[in-house]
Amino acid sequence: MRRIFIGAGLIALGVIANAQAAEEWGIDFEKKARVEAKVVDMACELTGNCPDNCGNGKRQLGLLMDDGRLVPVIKNFDIFAGATNDLIKHCNKRIVADGLMISNPKMPMFALQFSKPAEGGKWSRANQFGKDWSKANGGKNSGQWFRTDPVVARIIKKDGVFGIPGLKAKSE
Amino acid sequence: MDRRRLSLGLIATLTMGFTGTLGFAGAKAAVNKAAAPKRVQVTGEIIDTWCYVTEIMFAQGTAHHQCAVWCALGGIPVSVLGKDGKVYMVLRVEGDDTSVANPKLITIQTSEVTVDGDLYVRDGVNYLMVNKIADNKGIVNLTQDEYGIQPFGK
Repeated sequence: MRRIFIGAGLIALGVIANAQAAEEWGIDFEKKARVEAKVVDMACELTGNCPDNCGNGKRQLGLLMDDGRLVPVIKNFDIFAGATNDLIKHCNKRIVADGLMISNPKMPMFALQFSKPAEGGKWSRANQFGKDWSKANGGKNSGQWFRTDPVVARIIKKDGVFGIPGLKAKSE
Repeated sequence: MDRRRLSLGLIATLTMGFTGTLGFAGAKAAVNKAAAPKRVQVTGEIIDTWCYVTEIMFAQGTAHHQCAVWCALGGIPVSVLGKDGKVYMVLRVEGDDTSVANPKLITIQTSEVTVDGDLYVRDGVNYLMVNKIADNKGIVNLTQDEYGIQPFGK
């Protein structure tokens, strides 16, 4: 009886662990990856110009792997958003990053889906951009943030969807 | 006999582990450090790095302009797609180290530019510190007739 409980507990733990696991997105060269690495300010890593706190969210961040490879983290879980807001709290710290290693010969990159401190702690879904956007925009739902963002609206109103005022597609 | 096998196995494990450790440490010391930057001039289109590299949609020219604005504002890195076909990820623009949602980069999405900068190549990625935007021809890659509005058609 006791064994059954232990077995059920292990299965439940497995289910919980799987719930945090990265999902495939059907992108060429992608491979699900869970890696432990240090979060670094990429410009700092390359040039030695290193402001406090990795630039406070204004600089692109990457993963410095244990073998010395530097991998840019290009994407998070939010639509049309990067991962800086997710990673900045881990500046110069080691994390476990769960997501997609995209080994595209044009440019290798990582798409972050979950992360947690390497020393332990809870997994976080990589959707901090949406949370921050919602907070900055009066609590609006961030699901389609790009449709209601005031900066986007201003740019598209000025230049049009094609970037050239008045330009239309043949089909329009 | 069993003890001998155990000893041989232990020696083999330790030796392989030690050699592996040495090999790993040697590789770590030998690779992956950025070379000194190279002064370059790159001509090409300002693009959204994610959509272009992953090819999840057509991501060049006017058809993709709106999406490129979304992505740049969302903090996805902006790159220059050089005439040489290489992707140059921009980490600095004219003295401004902001590479997340930099207004200067958002407003020149899709434009054809010529930039002078310092190029760092590391682990298969071209990182560009743009010292000067020497020329900006504006948006010249007209792809909207063929591709409409990427990705949603509106």
